[in-house]
Amino acid sequence: MRVRTPLIAIILLTLLAACSAPAAPQPTATPPTPAADLSGIKDFLLDQAASLTASTGALKAETDRYYALAEAAGFDYPRLWQEQRSELIPVIEAARELWVQASPQYEKMEGIVAGTPSLAEFDVILDAGPSGEEDPENAAPVDLNLPDGRVLERPGNLFGVVESTLWGTFPAYSADVAADWNQDGAVEFGETLPDAAVLKAGADALDSYASQLQTAAQEWSPSTSDAFTALVVMVPTMSEYFASWRDSRFIAGEDSTQRDFVAISRLADIQDILGGLQIVYGQVRPLIDGVDAAQAAQIESGLSSLKAFVADVHQQEQGGRRYTAEEADLLGAEAQNRATAVTGQIAQVAAQLGVVIEE
Amino acid sequence: MLNLVGAMRRFSAANAWTVLSLMVIGCLALGWAAPAQAQDAPGQAAETLRSLLVQAQLAMSDDPAAAGEMVQTAAVLYQDALAPTLSAAAPQAAQRAAAGLAEAAEAAAASDPIHLAAARAQVWTALLDGAMSVVQEAIATGRGDQAQSWLLVREFRQATRFSRPSADAAVVVAGFAGGQIEAGAAMQAVQADLLDTYQTRLNQALDTAAVAQGQGFGARSAEAATLAEGYFALLIPALVEQRGPEQAEAATRSFAELRAAAVAGQPLDAPLAQVRAALQGFRAAPLSPTEQTRRAGQMLRFLSLVPVEYGRGVRNGQVAIDLEIREAITFADGAAAAFADLEPQLASAQPAQAADAAARFAALQRDLAAAGAGGAVADPAAVRRQANELTAILREVMPDSWQRPDSNADFDVIGAALDQMERAVAAGEYTLAESARLEAYAILESGPEAKLVAFAPQHVTPIEELFWYGQGEQPGLAFLIKHGASRSEIAATRQALDARLAAASEAIGGDSAPAVVATNAAIIVFREGLEAVVILAALMASMVGAKRIYRRPMAAGVLLALLATAVTFWLAQQVLTSFSRYGEKLEAVVSLVAIGVLLLITNWFFHQVYWKDHLANFHAQKKALLGSVGAGQLLGFVLLGFSSVYREGFETVLFLQALVLESSLWTVVEGVAIGILAVLAVGVITFKFQSRLPYKKMLVWTGVLIGAVLLMMVGNTVHAMQVVGWLPTHPIRWLTLPYWTGMWFGLYPTWEGITAQLAALVFVLGSYFLAERQRGGRRKKDARPSREKAPAAQAPPTPHALPAESPATAELAVQRALD
Repeated sequence: MRVRTPLIAIILLTLLAACSAPAAPQPTATPPTPAADLSGIKDFLLDQAASLTASTGALKAETDRYYALAEAAGFDYPRLWQEQRSELIPVIEAARELWVQASPQYEKMEGIVAGTPSLAEFDVILDAGPSGEEDPENAAPVDLNLPDGRVLERPGNLFGVVESTLWGTFPAYSADVAADWNQDGAVEFGETLPDAAVLKAGADALDSYASQLQTAAQEWSPSTSDAFTALVVMVPTMSEYFASWRDSRFIAGEDSTQRDFVAISRLADIQDILGGLQIVYGQVRPLIDGVDAAQAAQIESGLSSLKAFVADVHQQEQGGRRYTAEEADLLGAEAQNRATAVTGQIAQVAAQLGVVIEE
Repeated sequence: MLNLVGAMRRFSAANAWTVLSLMVIGCLALGWAAPAQAQDAPGQAAETLRSLLVQAQLAMSDDPAAAGEMVQTAAVLYQDALAPTLSAAAPQAAQRAAAGLAEAAEAAAASDPIHLAAARAQVWTALLDGAMSVVQEAIATGRGDQAQSWLLVREFRQATRFSRPSADAAVVVAGFAGGQIEAGAAMQAVQADLLDTYQTRLNQALDTAAVAQGQGFGARSAEAATLAEGYFALLIPALVEQRGPEQAEAATRSFAELRAAAVAGQPLDAPLAQVRAALQGFRAAPLSPTEQTRRAGQMLRFLSLVPVEYGRGVRNGQVAIDLEIREAITFADGAAAAFADLEPQLASAQPAQAADAAARFAALQRDLAAAGAGGAVADPAAVRRQANELTAILREVMPDSWQRPDSNADFDVIGAALDQMERAVAAGEYTLAESARLEAYAILESGPEAKLVAFAPQHVTPIEELFWYGQGEQPGLAFLIKHGASRSEIAATRQALDARLAAASEAIGGDSAPAVVATNAAIIVFREGLEAVVILAALMASMVGAKRIYRRPMAAGVLLALLATAVTFWLAQQVLTSFSRYGEKLEAVVSLVAIGVLLLITNWFFHQVYWKDHLANFHAQKKALLGSVGAGQLLGFVLLGFSSVYREGFETVLFLQALVLESSLWTVVEGVAIGILAVLAVGVITFKFQSRLPYKKMLVWTGVLIGAVLLMMVGNTVHAMQVVGWLPTHPIRWLTLPYWTGMWFGLYPTWEGITAQLAALVFVLGSYFLAERQRGGRRKKDARPSREKAPAAQAPPTPHALPAESPATAELAVQRALD
């Protein structure tokens, strides 16, 4: 008895010591990420997603009409062009208008979609992903199953597929017909007859993924990390957007080999993207004001001036000015410098706030 | 009172209007001042000035007058917002800025885009130089607010695949301003961040100058060359410190010549080559010792993965899996990038070997690039030989302090492997994705996990679950890959895993002093060995008298397990990372065996009637025991001894290996010895405690301990099987348990685990009560013949007298007395 009690105590103490916290110093607790009212970001995203699905739905209907016309002619495109030219052109033009309507609707939310890890795949599929032929590793992960049984494996992002089909910038997606729309004896840029199967498959897929994006947006709960990641990821991509602009028809003209960004200048896309990012920044600015009001103001000023810079260039372009390659290069460098400065400042305040920027 | 009233009355309406007017004016002044203050903020002012000069450049061709006005506005802004502070803190930089603005004005007036471009670059880099001086002076004089505001006048590195814009300086200066960080640390962080940034920008400017010249862009070329010169001005003090004033002066002249050639529209090849030669091996912001170790760890880890990836991608001399070749290229580039960061220090110590290593890196990258581009496909054995030879040279040339395994580097490589996993998923290659996932996990197991187990155990289980089969709200990567999940689903889990890994990295960051490593080893051995030692000690204590013979087979099992562990340790030294892939599954298998044996032993133990019968017939059946039935029992005890020790031996060996690599063998041996002593002490205490108990109570205590250990083993085994996906995982959402309940008691809040433990408890208690019931029945049965005899004897039964020298004598006598 005299021995038992101390032995019991020793065993229990040993076990308790073993069960207690590790002998080593406790690790530093990670401070919780500050919260901000990000409801405005989600509201904006949902508004844009609704607009987009409405446009893609209408585009799908229009391409279905075109497909029906082609199907009625047995997909004999020369005969189709010869017999139904007057019906075809309005349908194609209507489809183009709907594409031009849908594209900026997506661009306005691209900054949020592409910059949010849980939504980023939609951006690759809808707008950013190259084709498997161009970049197998980063290709848009979607195949197009055509109504005629053909399968286009990883043809690239869906806006790009539909654009190149509607405007005839990729011969494989066009019918082999010399479609002289205005009958002036020359087949000029835009005078094309799309491959109905490719057009239908592309438009159907575009509408489907737009709907899926809308669903995902409804289920999404934006976090502070999402917001800062979107800003840090998307803002510095100006150089690649300007590179697209420099290589597009708007600068390179007929020498351009780019098959997308033909209908809308990339500069317009950049402004739309920045507009969306400004909304994101507006939601997190109160957090930044609490850390460094001067930097908060400088970041906002930087985003605004970057957008204004791009808008000015676009305005001049629309006014008829054609920039030289050197000017385009300078403009691209300037845009990149401004974007880098803004991104760096955002990264700084994120670090001060303890916000994790996702890789 | 009347005087006051009178005074108030005398404060007439006119005075009131005066006061009101002054208030309004004051408010207006404040309103104007607010934007002016925002405008005067140095960061904003500098950016506005820079922007004005760019706009002037763009407007020059169409509207030279507007361009001139913009330059003039920029000059006024400089004088008002920046010059006063810069002139005081950095007079030379202020002079360069002022001179640049004057040149810009002249160039605008002359519609000279090339000189305007050069002047712009001069102004901007002068502002950066001056701002850096202001920040440093502010830190030195304790003016944190000024340091913070002028730190906004800076540039940043562009984000790349391996880096984000640095935020080190801002965070540290904010800490300095808040009084949490000392001036010395703040100064160091600012210099490291800014110098590293500007050296990167300098290199980019040199590249831009070369490209622009090739394109015939005169203004861009002049701007880039002048930027390079201006960035270099920021780095001169570091170059003087590292290479002396003569070399710094020579480099300064080279940059001046480059600028002059660019402005004059002359070829830049020679000046560029001269400048690059002057900067060869120079690093303005030397890496800290921590960063050196980290880069070295990254370099060696990446290099080790190159032949692995390449070998998987090549079959019969052809590229079979393009993705693997690209990953090999990625890892080779990562290793080369880390080498580039270390090369200046290596070159200064051993220039020939450093140059050899650089040449070998280039050769390796060339061979990989050729295979990736559809050219010549090098033999995988040759690539492995290249990597091994390069590794050997690097290990020879690097200091020992760089070669200690670094957890931070390991986490970097884990991230790279997970990137590979995501890329494989993007390409629809789920088999490759699983391979990459295992690679990442193996690096974790063979690297940081040892420290995590000891110093941050709360991260171990969540990380494991995210790597494997965590289900419900956050499915694990193995689960998702197995089910062909989408990129976004896998990315979501990757995101959660990255957060955990980042927290874990932060938790175990720090140096690995020998005492730390030894403590780490002791804790691991103690924790992993406790379970086995308690059960073995409890059982051995209960084996007294005739049952003492069973101690030997248990001890034999333990010895075999220790031998197997030693063999495993040796094998693990050879193929550490490969072994790490199978640790969890092997632990699960051995644990199942241990539980099976322990269940049998528990059941056998509680059936004391069996022991009683056995002992009662001991002498008569001794040979039979050892011959047939005893062989099975002996084997059971050998297996119990073996499985109790080896089930934890495998993972313990991996942890200890990782610690050996981090420190030294003897440091780890010291820690292991301490851990073994501690766990043996618990065993001895358990043994002694039980030995002193009365027999029946000893049996009870033994049963309790066996039952407790059985429950822990069942819980841990179920968890191990859930981790590797052999059992599903259904979390009990309303039950929140601290992490240590799992670590020490095998108690995890899942239905499978709790149910299995309850089943084990029912089994144990059921065995006990069944045994008690059987014994009670036997007592009644035995009592009937006694009562029949009783009328004749009327005396209490006495123990049978047995030879005193029989080992079973005392025990049997006591047993009968208790009965």
